[in-house]
Amino acid sequence: MSHLGERASALVDGELNHHERDRALSHLAFCAACRAEVDAVRALKNRLRSLDGPAMPADLTMSLLRMAEPGGPLPPRERPFPSSRTFGGAPIPSMYSVAPPDNRPSGRAGGPRRARRAGYVAVGVASAAVAIGTLFVAGGSEPAPRVVPPVDMFANQHRNTAPYGGPAKPAFSPTP
Amino acid sequence: MTRLPTALLLAAVMLLGMAVGNPVHAAAPPDDAEGEDTGLSLLRRAAVAARTRGYTGTQYVTAWGRSGSFSLVLEVRNVPGQGLTVHAQPSGRVERVDPGTPAGNMAAPSEAMLEVLARNYRVVQAGGGRVCGRPARLVRVLRPDDTLAARYWLDESGGPVLRRELLDGGGRVVHAGAFVDLTLDPARGDASPSRAAPPTPSPAAGGLDLAEVPRLFVGGWRFPGVLPGRLELFTAHAASAGYLHLGYSDGLSVVSVFIQPGVLDEERLRGWHPQRRGGHTIWMRDSAGQETIWASGGHVYTVFADAPADMVDAVVAALPHEPAPGLWTRLGRGAHRLLSWVNPFG
Repeated sequence: MSHLGERASALVDGELNHHERDRALSHLAFCAACRAEVDAVRALKNRLRSLDGPAMPADLTMSLLRMAEPGGPLPPRERPFPSSRTFGGAPIPSMYSVAPPDNRPSGRAGGPRRARRAGYVAVGVASAAVAIGTLFVAGGSEPAPRVVPPVDMFANQHRNTAPYGGPAKPAFSPTP
Repeated sequence: MTRLPTALLLAAVMLLGMAVGNPVHAAAPPDDAEGEDTGLSLLRRAAVAARTRGYTGTQYVTAWGRSGSFSLVLEVRNVPGQGLTVHAQPSGRVERVDPGTPAGNMAAPSEAMLEVLARNYRVVQAGGGRVCGRPARLVRVLRPDDTLAARYWLDESGGPVLRRELLDGGGRVVHAGAFVDLTLDPARGDASPSRAAPPTPSPAAGGLDLAEVPRLFVGGWRFPGVLPGRLELFTAHAASAGYLHLGYSDGLSVVSVFIQPGVLDEERLRGWHPQRRGGHTIWMRDSAGQETIWASGGHVYTVFADAPADMVDAVVAALPHEPAPGLWTRLGRGAHRLLSWVNPFG
């Protein structure tokens, strides 16, 4: 079996299955290098686990809480290093002229705005449904009666229809 | 009309065919004058005789429709001044009919109809023969492409039509009617000018009955003036029952179109079966006549025809077959209506 490599960390975290763990442990029995690596990984993880979490600055906490309060939109972001150098009127990019993407929320009250937008969508959909329904109903066929042709009467009328009614002229020709 | 078993029908047709004489052998070769309507005067004389001469006889009528052939036997009696009485078998129905109607086997077409016939076809004499023991003159009716559309065997002594056949575009006989026996009223004599009974008084020798057409168009009815197969509109009436009756003819065949406002109640159509034609559903039933029903655009169309099946199919295809309106059509119509409601100038 080759050295454990990345499986050393998985072994420490208990992420190997039974078969992999048995093979890893049997390898550690006679591979000092891997055994030392596993010990180092285990020591590192224990040390990281013992560290305290970073403390949240008080001003950051207060500013986050203020974002949840209703208020006007945030002022436009100011570039920390405005580009002042130009060439022929066009700004020359510098190492600070390209600002990082603005990932901040667009407003301070994102929850209510989202709800308001959903309301607008709902009202729009409902209005469209009412309009289409009105057109559909108004465009329906006139209430037409369901009919079965009076076939016998029609047949009798057809049988007794004299096309171009009227008798033929008595135009006689000599009897052959 | 009752549908007869095929074997019995074939036997009856063969026997009747023998009784009336073999028309194929009776037909002489066409004469040299086929380029003119040399047979029209003979048809006219037979039409007058069918009204003005008394006669009694037995006819058989066979029609070949979409679903087979149908036959019936008619005992006819014509009394000048009283009309033609027809006793149909096996239905047993007795009725007095006009000899110029399909019920009268089109024995006496009007002068106007003969003119339409001459306008659409060539009517030529084609020799002679014998039918039910009587000497006959054969008249052939030809389409513009010289195919045979009809044959008439006319009584040579001035009587009515002895035998009449209609043929479709493929040359198949689709309707045949012939006397098996005929007794002319001896008291009436023949139809010579000096001895013939005067014709039935009439203000006109037939013609169009289209006086209502402008009013029908104003009322919103729309219908064609001509239909495939040279069928011309000759009558248009709005009945008090709320339907429109249109009549078309080419001088030989008769097609009636009835239009009702409404939607077709297909569940209550008894004895009719649906068929798909050109993407549309039409309803037909087994009968001698060509009978078709379908719905289109808020109207129900019913067509009855004494005509070849191919002609009827073309007629049905030419009449409206509007599908049910789709969503966008309905929405557009709704918008149009709403605008018309709120438009103060509309």
